This record gives sequence, C-alpha cells and structure tokens, in this order.
Amino acid sequence: MSSQPETETLAPQDTPRAPAPGLGWEEFSRELVEFFASIKLAMFLFLFIAITATIGTVIQQGERPETYIQEYGEETYRWFLRLGFTDVYHTWWFTSLLGLLCVNSLTCFYKRFPAVWRSMKQDKVSVSLAFIKGMKQQAEVAVQGTKESIAQQLAQYYIEKGYRVLAKNEGGEVTLYATKGVLGRVGAHMAHLSATVIVLGGLLGSYYGFQEFGVCLEGQTYHIPRGNFDLKVEKFWIDYHENGSVKSYNSTLTVVEGGTPQMTKTITVNDPLVYKGIWFYQSSYGDAWDQIEIARVNIKDKETDKVIKTIDLEWQKEQSLDDLKLKLAVTDFVADFAFNSTEKKVYSKTIEHANPAIKLTVNERSAVQATPWIFYQFPDLFDIKDSKYQFELIGYKPKKYTGLQIAKNPGINIVWLVCTMIVVGITLSSFIYHRRLWTKIIPAAAGVTVYVGGTTHKSQIDFQKEFRRLTEKIRTFST
Amino acid sequence: MARSLFLFDMTFWLYLASLTLYIAYLFARRPSMALAPAGHPLENFDERDGAWATQLGQVATLVTVFGWMVNTAALFTRAFERLQHSGTFAPWSNQFEAMAYVSWAIILGYVLLELRYKIKAIGAFVVGIGFIAMGAASLLPYRYQTAEPLVPALNSYWIYIHVSITLTSYAAFAMAGGLGVMYLFKERAEQRGSRSRFYAAFPDLETIDELGYKAIMIGFPLLAFGIILGAMWANYAWGGYWSWDPKETWSLIVWLIYGAYIHARMTRGWEGRRAAIYAVFGFLMVVFCFWGVNFLLSGLHAYA
Repeated sequence: MSSQPETETLAPQDTPRAPAPGLGWEEFSRELVEFFASIKLAMFLFLFIAITATIGTVIQQGERPETYIQEYGEETYRWFLRLGFTDVYHTWWFTSLLGLLCVNSLTCFYKRFPAVWRSMKQDKVSVSLAFIKGMKQQAEVAVQGTKESIAQQLAQYYIEKGYRVLAKNEGGEVTLYATKGVLGRVGAHMAHLSATVIVLGGLLGSYYGFQEFGVCLEGQTYHIPRGNFDLKVEKFWIDYHENGSVKSYNSTLTVVEGGTPQMTKTITVNDPLVYKGIWFYQSSYGDAWDQIEIARVNIKDKETDKVIKTIDLEWQKEQSLDDLKLKLAVTDFVADFAFNSTEKKVYSKTIEHANPAIKLTVNERSAVQATPWIFYQFPDLFDIKDSKYQFELIGYKPKKYTGLQIAKNPGINIVWLVCTMIVVGITLSSFIYHRRLWTKIIPAAAGVTVYVGGTTHKSQIDFQKEFRRLTEKIRTFST
Repeated sequence: MARSLFLFDMTFWLYLASLTLYIAYLFARRPSMALAPAGHPLENFDERDGAWATQLGQVATLVTVFGWMVNTAALFTRAFERLQHSGTFAPWSNQFEAMAYVSWAIILGYVLLELRYKIKAIGAFVVGIGFIAMGAASLLPYRYQTAEPLVPALNSYWIYIHVSITLTSYAAFAMAGGLGVMYLFKERAEQRGSRSRFYAAFPDLETIDELGYKAIMIGFPLLAFGIILGAMWANYAWGGYWSWDPKETWSLIVWLIYGAYIHARMTRGWEGRRAAIYAVFGFLMVVFCFWGVNFLLSGLHAYA
C-alpha cells in the first residue's frame, strides 16, 4: 500500500484540521465529505449493521405480545418495544444505518471516482526519478543500447502483456508509463453506486407494491381490486412421491378480465402466475371451514335403533330416497361449531375442524320438514320429533382451499438490474488489479540505465512476480 | 444410496490420510534451516525440503488428489441416485451433501493453490478444514445422509446454482480461515525466535497473508452472487425477494463482515496479524451461518 502516487484513491488522509475559529463553509464541507467518504465509517457501518442484524435472528420477529412476555418477562418486553427489537429490520434506527451506508458509498463515489475517471482518460507520464526509486517495487538495470531502441522494446513488451503505454522523450531521457486493470477500480465504484440504488428499488417496492394472502376455494372466482380483474380457482390438488412425501402443491388458476378468460395456468410452489405485474404464488393449503364436498350420513330407524341406510350427500344437492320417502340435502357446514345468541347465527369459531357439524335439510313424506344441525362428535344431540328416523354424520370429505400469496413489486426490475451490477462490480474489483509502471531510460556511460518502479492496489505477490519477470526481461534487451 | 455413502466414507478416510501426510511432511527432517533468500520467497520449496520431506509431500499431494477424485465420484453417484429418487440431481440438496460438496470445493481450491504456488505446508491447515467438513458430515445421523425426495419449496432449478455458488463461497472463506490459523502459528514461532524445522516449510508471513486475502477476494463476490440468486429464488417461491429469514440475514451478516475486511485492507495496519485473526473470526461466522442457523434457529431455510 505504501508509495501510492495518488493519495486520493486511498484511505483517509490525515489532513490537518483547520483551527476552529477559521472554520469556513469550505473547510466544513470538505471535512464533511472526508467523514462520509471515509473507509473507517464504512467499516463501522458494515460491522454495526452486522451486529444489530443478529438481533432479529435470535429474537422471534413480529410475534404477539403474550409470546414475548411469556418468554422474556414483562420488563424485558417493554425494553424490546422501546428499542424495536420485535421488528428490528423496520425500526427507524436500523433503516438509518442502511441509509448512512448509502450516503457513505455515494460520498465515496463522489470523492474518488473523478480520479479513477481521469486515470482512465489520461495519466501523468512525467514523474521524477526519486518518485520511481521510492516505490515498493523498483529496480535499476543497466543495458546496452540507445534509449530509443530500449524504449521501443520495452513498450512492445508492455503491450504484449496487455498494458496501455504512454511515452515521452524529452530532456535526454525517455519516460514510459504503462497501466492496466483500471476496470478493477471502476468495478468497485460500480458496486458502491448500485448498492445505493438497490435501497431505492426496495423503497419503491415497499411504497408502490403490496403483499397479500388469500384463501381461495376451488371453483370460486375472486375479484382482484388492485389489478381490476378476476381470478378463478379451478382446482387444487397435491401430488405425492412414491414414498408418500409431497411432490408438489398445484392450483389451476384462470384470469378473467371483462368476463372473458385471459389465461390459465397451473401454479406450483416454485412457479407462480404473473398477470399485469401481479404475481400469484402457491403458498399454503388447508381444509375449508365452511364448506365440504361430501357428507356421509347414517339413517337409523328410531324404533329398532338400527341403521337402515348409509348415504353420501353432495354439498347443497338434494337427494331423494323414494323407498324411505325422504329428501335430504346438506345445506351448511361449520368446522368448529359456535352459536351467536344475539344475532342467532351459527358460525365457525376457528378454522380448525374441532367440532364439525352439518346442517341437514330434511323433507319426510312432505309432511315433516326440519333443518337440524348434525354433529360429528355428538350424534344424539338433535332429534326431529315427528320423524321416524335419526340421522348421524359419520364422515365427510372437506373441501380444500388453496392459500395464495398475491404480490406486486414495481421496483423488482430495478433491483435485479442493480444486483447484476453489484455482482459485476465486485467481481471486477476482486479479480482485476490496477497496475501502474513507470520507467525512465537514461543514457549512461555505456548504454543506458533503466529505472523502473510500479504499484498495484491489490495482490502484491503476483505483482512482485510480474515485476521480477519484467526486470529479467529488461536485462535481455539490447540493440 | 449405499454406493454413494460408501464413496463418501472412502473420501473421509482418504482426507484423513492426506491430512496425516501433510502434518508428517511438516515434521519431516530437512537438510538446512536456510530460509529463502529475500525477494524470492516463493520458489524452490523442493530444494529446501530434502529427500524425506519431498517424498512425503509428493505422496500427500497424490493422496489428496485421489481423495478429491473419490469425492467427485461420490457426488456424481449421489447425483444419479437423486435423479432416480427425487426430482433433482443436485448433489447438495441436504446438509450432508452440502458438507460433502463444501469439502470437495475446499480440496479443489487447495489442489489448485498447490499447483500454482507449490507450497505444501498449507495442506496441513486447509486440507484439515476440508477433512473436518467431511468428518462432520459423516457424523450426521443416517436419516440426514440419504437422498430423500425434495420438499416442493426446494424442487426448482434454482437449487443447482444458488446452493452451489453459496457453498463455494463458504469453501473460499474456509481456505482463508485455514491460512489465517497458519499465519498465527508462523507469526508466534517467529516472535519466539523458534528455530524449529517445523516452520521451515512455511512460506513467509507476507505470502500467507496475501493468499488469505486472495481467498476472501474469491469468496466475497461468490457470496454476493449466491445471496442475489437466493433473493431471485425467494421471489419465485415465497413472493418476496427479501424477508429477513435467519439464513438470509446471516448470509448478509457474513457478507458484511467480509465487506468490512475488504475495506479494512485498503487502510494501513490491517494486514498480517489482525487480518489473520479477522479471517479466522469470519470463518467461524460462516460456520455458524452454515451449521448454527440450520440447527439452532428456525426459519424458512430450516428444512435441511
């Protein structure tokens, strides 16, 4: 790192601080840029963000208060709330840290990129002999020949090695400047800039995007207000491997817009449907709590207490049993029976199938009509007075619902573009090293003396090797 | 299944053998304590080694290369087995396979390093980590070692690229960690003025330091790429590219830790000892990200 000729491409300089009274705007702004562009700030932010990010992996995020109080106690929970530890990644201070990192990389770009840009366009060729001798990698080789012919051969060699060469012949000496790999530096700045834009893309997504979760039943059509179109869930099913483990969850969806179907796709966990920028993901599934497909019902004779018949009733379809002079239909279902006495309504307490019951509409000899709730777990609860029969629910096939994640993220393409730039930038800066070599060829008593010195900002040992080969090569030069 | 497990087992024993040989190589008698002349620290390690050490070194390299080939064969066999049993052929689809792949990548990295720089002393440290990775894999219960079909969330072409690239970056960080340990060993010996011949085969401190840095410079972009591919996958499978899931967060933490390292290298005073300690610390964080998160923290990645 030592003897870097351009200090501005390097670590923070220890510029002497101006005395406080004379601190004008210019000095102040320079100090400010210095501070925000400093590598020390970057290191601090990297590590501080790393440390604080661990909090959210140790403490469960976004749980209900009871969960925290149970685990950590009330006092600790209060501190969690104060510090935002229950949702660390969205607290003002964590967001500010990320923001500061953006400011840091932008300021670094502002301060250091112009020098890199200049170095791409042109570089200073003329340097003093003392400058070359002061470099970490430097050598002095005496060879036979004129300065022009040696310079010619050396330039040829540099070009073969992929260097860009600038030369000057003045004052009785030839100065050569050779450089390559400035892209490595450009890459670093590219990464800095993209890291900032990624945050903007994230913000765009969180302001103009949304993420929702929908529970959808087969055969139903749902309106998607954000996209102003309808989505029909045709079918949901699960495929299994031979050993019984789940292979895939599948939902066939049809997009309907203005009454006409636009597209149909079977989505699986890793294959969402995209329509008008809205993504539909297969996210979960379960048994519906207010509908079933088929109920299996035993019909018993009250007198003999014997099962006369077992029938399968389809959901909301009347079935006639002429021999018993019965008409039956399953008209309602709840998975976890509950009764709201003020509204006089039956509803499902939870989505668990804890206390399932069907509402059976019975029409017996067109004389007895009743709509009892038949419980799976309590078969004797209801009795139809005038009926000859007793009905028992002995099983049912629940209707499956499919859980769809619905998301829109308008910032996503920016994020991907910038992600690509970050990877390209980091890769360039990791594998391409900026190398610079200065050579002075000065006529000596016999032949010429070649003074050569060079620097790189990374990978010193490779450069050392290359430099050794270079000096060995120079020794072979002659007229 | 038995076929690949047998090959993985063989890999384990071969890596143990090669580690033993590399350690023996360090202890082998050397003709002189003459250190490399200044300015030419990298060349002619063979000349310094003498007959015993040279032969041990050669055998060590052969055994390592053979072990790596068996490791490769094991991964290929596992890929074929997976093709029959589950919807993918990626031989890094559970914790066991991932460990075996990481040790494969570490050993490959080491062999390339030895080919290029001809420093065999590094083998005792880096092959050591590869061996530990393989050993830890074989200590996993049998049910973790078999090629069960993938859960639907994992069954995607993203598993080929996201997982392999992330694991390769772990391997690079593992190499840097091994080199860091080596640096600290050598530095302590130099400080004590140790004349032990053990250290004669070690390259000079600057070289170890630089190689460690290079390993991190390979791991860092790979991890960035791996994380981004993970984000893309998440966008396809979970409906959002970043959800602060523990594994995601920890890989970001690891990336930030190495980001700090890379920036630190630009400032004076962050080479040598400090960098070596930091590389070891970083590697421990990688180990936590790879193992700790899977077994200690819950989250979307908790299916390994």
